[in-house]
Amino acid sequence: MSAKQGNCGNRINIKSITLYALFVAVCLIIGYLESLLSISLIAVAPGVKLGLSNAIALTLICRGDTKGAWAVNITRICLSALLFGSPISFLFSLAGGVASTAVACILSKLKSVSAIGISIAGGAVHNIFQCVAATVFVGVGVVYYLPALLIFGALCGAFCGVLVKLVLNKIKINGIF
Amino acid sequence: MKKGDIIIISAVAAAFVLSIVLLISFSKQGSRVVIKQDNKIIYNKSINANETVDTGTNTVVIKDGIVYMSDATCKNQVCVNTGKISKKGESIVCLPNKVIVEIE
Repeated sequence: MSAKQGNCGNRINIKSITLYALFVAVCLIIGYLESLLSISLIAVAPGVKLGLSNAIALTLICRGDTKGAWAVNITRICLSALLFGSPISFLFSLAGGVASTAVACILSKLKSVSAIGISIAGGAVHNIFQCVAATVFVGVGVVYYLPALLIFGALCGAFCGVLVKLVLNKIKINGIF
Repeated sequence: MKKGDIIIISAVAAAFVLSIVLLISFSKQGSRVVIKQDNKIIYNKSINANETVDTGTNTVVIKDGIVYMSDATCKNQVCVNTGKISKKGESIVCLPNKVIVEIE
């Protein structure tokens, strides 16, 4: 009896753990595919990435699960640094990731902002903080890259925001998670 | 699209314009080219010295006050694609080969 009750009590927990793990796995795969894609983008803008994996954390944030978004994002950043990155790239993405998740969480509490707005702000803030991290490691000269980073961050953010909006509508209809 | 979204978009656009204006107003023509490899300065000369510097891994061309990386052995070629620099504070970085070209 008590064992059964224990199982029932843990069910939500296990479900969310599994979901988060699934999300992290999807994030990593998307991140890897993206890094292949960004090689072809390098001629246009070196280092620019679409940031599709942020769309997953954003989906969680828009569903009101900010804790889950933090968990998925931080795990994703650590794992992708271990798998594909270097210590420096880890610090870069950590700076951007923490700042953009914080901004997205704060903005999600406001009713007048939709997923697109949250995503644009997140993308812009992500790139600003990466630029700040880069000035620490590389030098002040990186600041010259900031305007381009801001615009690309906002554009990629808008793309992710539209994507999240479509996903959220589908979730509403199908009632997944 | 909601009201807040438009405010955010205009804020980002304002930040973009502001950053460009600030960067242009603070940028000055550089005077010296400094090339560092493994955090050691291996080259420090006037920007008007028309020279081609070979660091062993990267080739830096300095010509008519403009500096660019013409060749690099690294895989990603970010430094080569950075293009030409001439203003104070600008830099070309090749992380794989640990080569930094700065203008002072």
